[in-house]
Amino acid sequence: MNPYIKNLFRFVIILAIQVLLLGNITLYLLPQPAGSLFIPLIYPLFILMLPFETPVWILLFLGFFMGAAVDAFYTTGGMHAAAAVLIAYLRTNVLQTLMPHKLDEYAGLQPSVKNMGWLPFLVYAAFLILIHHIFFFTLESWSFSSFPTLALKIGASLGTSMLFVVAYALLFTKQYAAR
Amino acid sequence: MRNVLLLIQRFFNLILFVFLEVICFMLLTHARTLQGDDVLSAANTVVGLIYEKRSALIYYISLDKMNDSLLNENVRLHKALASLTAKDTVFDLHSKLPTILASDTGSTASKAANKDTTSKHTLEYAEYEYKTAMVINNSTNNVNNYITINRGSNSGIAKGMSVITGTGLVGWVEHVSAHYATVLSIMSKQQVVSARLKDGTYGFSYWDNENPTQFVMKDMPQQIKVKPGDSVFTTSYSRLFPPDILLGTVIKSVFNKHNGYYQLYLKPSVNFRNLQYVYVVQNKMIPERKQLEDSSAKK
Repeated sequence: MNPYIKNLFRFVIILAIQVLLLGNITLYLLPQPAGSLFIPLIYPLFILMLPFETPVWILLFLGFFMGAAVDAFYTTGGMHAAAAVLIAYLRTNVLQTLMPHKLDEYAGLQPSVKNMGWLPFLVYAAFLILIHHIFFFTLESWSFSSFPTLALKIGASLGTSMLFVVAYALLFTKQYAAR
Repeated sequence: MRNVLLLIQRFFNLILFVFLEVICFMLLTHARTLQGDDVLSAANTVVGLIYEKRSALIYYISLDKMNDSLLNENVRLHKALASLTAKDTVFDLHSKLPTILASDTGSTASKAANKDTTSKHTLEYAEYEYKTAMVINNSTNNVNNYITINRGSNSGIAKGMSVITGTGLVGWVEHVSAHYATVLSIMSKQQVVSARLKDGTYGFSYWDNENPTQFVMKDMPQQIKVKPGDSVFTTSYSRLFPPDILLGTVIKSVFNKHNGYYQLYLKPSVNFRNLQYVYVVQNKMIPERKQLEDSSAKK
C-alpha cells in the first residue's frame, strides 16, 4: 500500500482508539490519589511507527498535528502537542542508536516488531513513551510538589500505555515468521 | 548573510522544534484565559459531532439505566414540589391568623424569620432559568476535568453558566460553540466553591487533587458542630451558581492543631463518572449584580 495513505489511515485509527475508546477507560487497582493513575496514551505510537527515513521536520509537523488533534478532544490546550513534538524530535536519534545500520538503508520500512525484533522495538517504544509521559504529566500537574504521586502516575501510565502499544503492534501488523 | 543561511540550514530541525514547542506553550497558556479561543477544545464543532455519534451508541446500550435515573429525578422533583406547596399553605394560614402568632413572641420571631427566608427563596428561584442538556463526553481522570454537553450558544448557553444535576453541583460552562459547550467540572485543580453548612457557617470547598471522591473544606471555626453525614450546600455569594445546591456530605472532620481550625472532608453528592443529563442554570440577574458589585468594589 502507498505509505502516505497507509499512514493517514493509521493517524485516523490511532486517534479514534485514543479518544473514543481509551479516553473512557478508568482503571482502579489500588486506593489511588489524584484521579486515575493509569492513563493509557497510545497516540505516540503513530509517531513511533512512521517510516525510518522520514525527515525530522516532517516528524515534527506530524507530531504537532497528532498532539493538537488529541488536545482538541481532551480540551488540554497544547499539552499533548508539546509532548508529541518533543518525542518527534528525539525519535531519529533514538532509532539511530538502536539500529545496526544507518537509517537511510532501511528505505521503505517502518519501525515495528517485525523489522526491529522484539527487544529493540520495546526499548525504543518504552524509552520515547517514558519521555513523553514525564513531559506530559509534569506539564499537566505544573509542579513537583507531589513528586511521589507524579512519579507513580508516570510509571503506572507508562505500563498501561505499553500494554496497549504491544496489543496494537500485535493486532495491526502482518503475521511474520519467528526470526 | 550566507553564514546566517548556513546556520539556519544546519539547525533547521532544532529551530523548527523550538518554534513548534513555543506554539504549544502559547496555546497552553492562552487556552484558559482568552475568550473565544477554543479552537483546540471539545466545544469545537467537529469534535463535538464525533463525540455525539459515540454517545448515541453508548446511550442506546444504557437506556435502562438512564430511564431509571430520570425516574428518580422525577420522584425527587415531585417531592420537592409537594413540600414547597405545603410550606406555602402553612405560611398563608399563619398570615391570616395574626392573633395566634402574637400570643407567643418567641415563636413569632422565628416564624417571621422563616417567612422572610421562604419568600426570599421563591424570589431566588424566579431569578434562575434551567435548560436541560445531555452529556456527550466526560473526563474524570485528569487534573482538570471537562464535560462536553450537546447544547451551545444556539440554545442560549453562555460562558460562566453553572451546571447541576439532580443530585448536586457539577461545574460551569467554559467554552461554547454553536451546538456544543464544555463544562469545567468542580473536580478540577484550583476550582473553589463557596459552600455552607446547615447552620449557615460558610467556607470554601475544593478538590484537593488527591482523592477522586473527596472534597475538602479548610479553616472551619472550632465552635461549629459537625457530624459525619451533614449536608453541605452552595451559597448565594457566587455569581456562577445558584444557592442551596447540594455539594456533598461530611465524611469526617479533622482538628488542625497548628491553626486551631477544623478541616472537613466531603463526599461529593454527584457521581462524576455516570453523568447523563444535566441542567444548565442561567442567572438572569447577574449582569445587574455584577455591575453593582464591580462599581462598589472600585471605590
